[in-house]
Amino acid sequence: MYDFEYRRVGSIAEAQAALAGGSSSKLLAGGMSLLPVLKQRLARYDGIVDLGGIATLRGIHRDNADLVIGAMTTHATVAASALVAQSIPALAALAAGIGDPQVRNRGTLGGSVANADPAADYPAALLALDARIVTQRRVIAAEVFFRGLFETALEPGEIIQAVHFTLPQRAGYAKLRQSASRFALVGVFVTRTHAGVRVAVTGARDSVFRWREAEAALAADFRPAALARLALPSSGLNADIHASAEYRAHCVQIMAQRALAAALEPPS
Amino acid sequence: MDEIATDSRIGQPVRRKEDERLLTGKGCFSDDVNLPEQAYAVFVRSPHAHARIRSIDARAARAIAGVLAVLTGEELLADGLKPLPHVPFSMHPAEIRLANRDGTPLFSAPHYPLACDKVRFVGEALAVVVAASVAIAKDGAEQVAVDYEVLPAVVDTLAAAEPDAPRIWEHATSNVCLDADAGDRAATEAAFARAVHVVRFSTQVNRVTGVTMEPRAAVAQYDAARQRYTLYAGSGGAVRLKDDLATVLDIPAAQVRAVMRDIGGNFGTRGMIYPEFCVVAWAARRVGRPVKWTCERQEAFLADYQARDLAVQAELALDAQGNFLALRSSNVGNAGAHPTNFSPLQKGVEIMSSIYRMPCAFVRARAVLSNTSPTRPYRSAGRPEVMYVLERLIDLAARECDFDRIALRERNLLRQAELPYTNPFGMVYDSGDYHGAMAKALELGDWAGFPARREQARRRGKYRGIGVANYVDTASGVPRERAEISVHPQGRVSVVVGTVSNGQGHETSFAQLVNEWLGVALERVDIIAGDTDIVKVGGGTHSGRGMRLISIVVLNASRQIIDKGKRIAARLLESDPSRVRFDAGRFEVAEGGRAVTLFEVAAAAERLGDLPEDLRGPLTAFSDETVKEASFPYGAHVCEVEIDPELGAVEIVRYAAVDDAGRAVNPMIIHGQTHGGIVQGVGQALYENCYYDPRSGQLLAGSFMDYTMPRADHFPPFDTHISEVPSTTHPLGMRPAGEGGTTPALAVVINAIVDALAELGVRHVEMPATPERIWRAMRAAAGTASGNSSTPMPQAQ
Repeated sequence: MYDFEYRRVGSIAEAQAALAGGSSSKLLAGGMSLLPVLKQRLARYDGIVDLGGIATLRGIHRDNADLVIGAMTTHATVAASALVAQSIPALAALAAGIGDPQVRNRGTLGGSVANADPAADYPAALLALDARIVTQRRVIAAEVFFRGLFETALEPGEIIQAVHFTLPQRAGYAKLRQSASRFALVGVFVTRTHAGVRVAVTGARDSVFRWREAEAALAADFRPAALARLALPSSGLNADIHASAEYRAHCVQIMAQRALAAALEPPS
Repeated sequence: MDEIATDSRIGQPVRRKEDERLLTGKGCFSDDVNLPEQAYAVFVRSPHAHARIRSIDARAARAIAGVLAVLTGEELLADGLKPLPHVPFSMHPAEIRLANRDGTPLFSAPHYPLACDKVRFVGEALAVVVAASVAIAKDGAEQVAVDYEVLPAVVDTLAAAEPDAPRIWEHATSNVCLDADAGDRAATEAAFARAVHVVRFSTQVNRVTGVTMEPRAAVAQYDAARQRYTLYAGSGGAVRLKDDLATVLDIPAAQVRAVMRDIGGNFGTRGMIYPEFCVVAWAARRVGRPVKWTCERQEAFLADYQARDLAVQAELALDAQGNFLALRSSNVGNAGAHPTNFSPLQKGVEIMSSIYRMPCAFVRARAVLSNTSPTRPYRSAGRPEVMYVLERLIDLAARECDFDRIALRERNLLRQAELPYTNPFGMVYDSGDYHGAMAKALELGDWAGFPARREQARRRGKYRGIGVANYVDTASGVPRERAEISVHPQGRVSVVVGTVSNGQGHETSFAQLVNEWLGVALERVDIIAGDTDIVKVGGGTHSGRGMRLISIVVLNASRQIIDKGKRIAARLLESDPSRVRFDAGRFEVAEGGRAVTLFEVAAAAERLGDLPEDLRGPLTAFSDETVKEASFPYGAHVCEVEIDPELGAVEIVRYAAVDDAGRAVNPMIIHGQTHGGIVQGVGQALYENCYYDPRSGQLLAGSFMDYTMPRADHFPPFDTHISEVPSTTHPLGMRPAGEGGTTPALAVVINAIVDALAELGVRHVEMPATPERIWRAMRAAAGTASGNSSTPMPQAQ
């Protein structure tokens, strides 16, 4: 780890001020991705601005039709929330399956979303649920938020405050874990809302994406059989020592069916 | 599992007395040692798989405030350090020798603690920065500018053996650094010529690494006044580490003290001196301060010795009834960048025919150098690989030649009456009930009930398979061991041995021996092993030699203590030594019932000035033995798996093991060893793989994010059973029990997977049997069978 100046701020305004200096500064949420990178000297910042002291960034509430989750809410809190379980049970289940207990107790929704890891779980949920990312400056639709490998629509100095989720009629998530890291080798989030069907895939490309063919098929027939004859082309999919593009394409199709099956389960 | 211990004698499942200390953070591992004024070492490691070092510019690093020294291979040679003293083979008298078939001497190449001319694998150390803190040392390491001439690299085992492969060592004629024949070639050819059935199997056994829970660490101190080095570092044994360090530093062994307390895992990959240990000792002298180095996990993946990595092409010849006629094989072991240790190759060859009746066999055994971290023995060195090959061959023979796989094994498995049996490589199996072990494993694994479980699995949409594998293991290692027992009048007994615990529970199991023979309570027994100022002789922990040899020397020394004690007690009890009997820690005269305790006798020995000279003073005795017999633990495992036909994911649903320990000192510890061994074996079969990129030579599985470790939730509860057929080559009948869990695990897991998929026409799945590999095998088989590439779902029958 290189030396840096650590600042724990108490408000968004303070955070903005801390970021505004000329030096390179980075926001710290749960630190579950940032700290390992720092420890291995893979990144160097002059300043680390810790958002952990801003109470208003934590919490879960309903705002009319939306479920609103504060950016600094931990995965464990989302997983254990009765409100999330009642509103979007698939989201609670997703949060319960991120990393391990230590990661879930530290890692946050906002941190995960801002980091935009290509194998993270939350981006699939945000994209499939047509979520809106609220910053101190604007509201960004998930559709345009995730731009690429660790790349988002956030501008310098822009801080995620909360994520708004529209409640779906049906939602389900299924992932196949990469065996070593236990990140998603592929993960698929399927939703049906008043606006239509969405199928969001994580882990398979440099960024989360919608599988449009599957969405069209499910819009016509929201049953697993509708996916049976579909195949996601493997070109452009990730290939590494854990899985070839071809196997990932196959797993997307299987995970989509399993996510759909989860979405179709009657509420427990 | 066994019941609760009733006392602390041999055979009792006594709870490990070291566990409370270890589990409550009170252990003392290498990194827990800190010395006043210590400085910190960080190594500069090669980013290239193969490169010539043109020059190293350390000026910028040396200019950093707090950097005390930057040392390179140039300084190392100038200071006269020597290469690491590798012993390439097991020299145990019971084992075979491998020599080049053309009579040329064994290839050797100097393995200096810092690379001097070339770097030969990614992560090889070529310089060290010593600084006032780790952070400053890291800053310094980043500033060391190395001018590399990058060379073509080769990492793959068979590719490295090609004549035109990039040459790791220029003075070698090829990367093949050992090319040996073993067995009877002519007889084997003749047997194959008359065989009715010949089954062939080729495989590449994956490379794995030890992944000790405690990463390596070392702290070294140099006492200039006494010209003496002290090295605190965990290894298999302190004496060997001391001697090897003295060799590298080119000084008499008396000028080195090696100290180790708790050690968080060894498995063989940690059993040998490491370059970093030598460098910190040397650096401590150079900077005049103690120097500490703590390996980081990613550094461990790169620079720890690795293991396995064997390419095999094997054939089994059978007659019409299924009798084995001959075994023929080519075994190519990947030695890595330095020719450090060929004993896994050697140990694999010599028992490749396992415990089956095999009239003849022939193996061509080669070791090849490559641009990878050097390989070493790792839990059951060389044996899991060949047991896997032979047990796969047997399953293939059963399927392809239409034999029942149990009947085929029973037909060829050696019977008790045939022992001792000399196998076709000349190894003599002493004793054992091989049929009994397999029968018991089949019973524990409920082989008979499998068809019903398979049918249930089909209804759940899963393929279910079962496998069995027999095994034998050669336990040899350094044959000499010593124990010195001292009885202290204050009420304690200390036992100095040369074999440190790497987690095996010696403080408990060795103390049980003392309890058995001297009647001393476990908590009064101190096992001392890790300090060469106290321990003078000892081979260290490897090759199933800990309990096997320690039991012999502790028994001998205990008998001497009792004999001396009887003579002293006779004086105290005013009797004759022949009338004194020793029982449960007391010497008593039979007729009168008068008695003195062992500790009272020890006090008298120190107090009474008029005792004969050999009894006067502290009550101590030692035994120093060289045991020339090897031991052959054996057993059988049964594994059952379920496979998800959509993803190819495999789940182990049942696992039963029978391992013969001859005589179990602590069954609970043995069960624990077996559990850990199974997990390491299954890790290799399903998950672990030191994957080097074939083009760049980069280690792509270089962290826990990419190197898959087995986890608790991968396993069902194990059903482990300890068989106790006394060994005829050990005075107490013991056989080692530390490696049996691993030895058949590779074979039994792959056999079970292939059994699950056999109905699809799958013949084999390579290790690690990842979901993708299984999915591809299913698809390929389905494609062959029907021209359809989709995987059929299991059909209820």
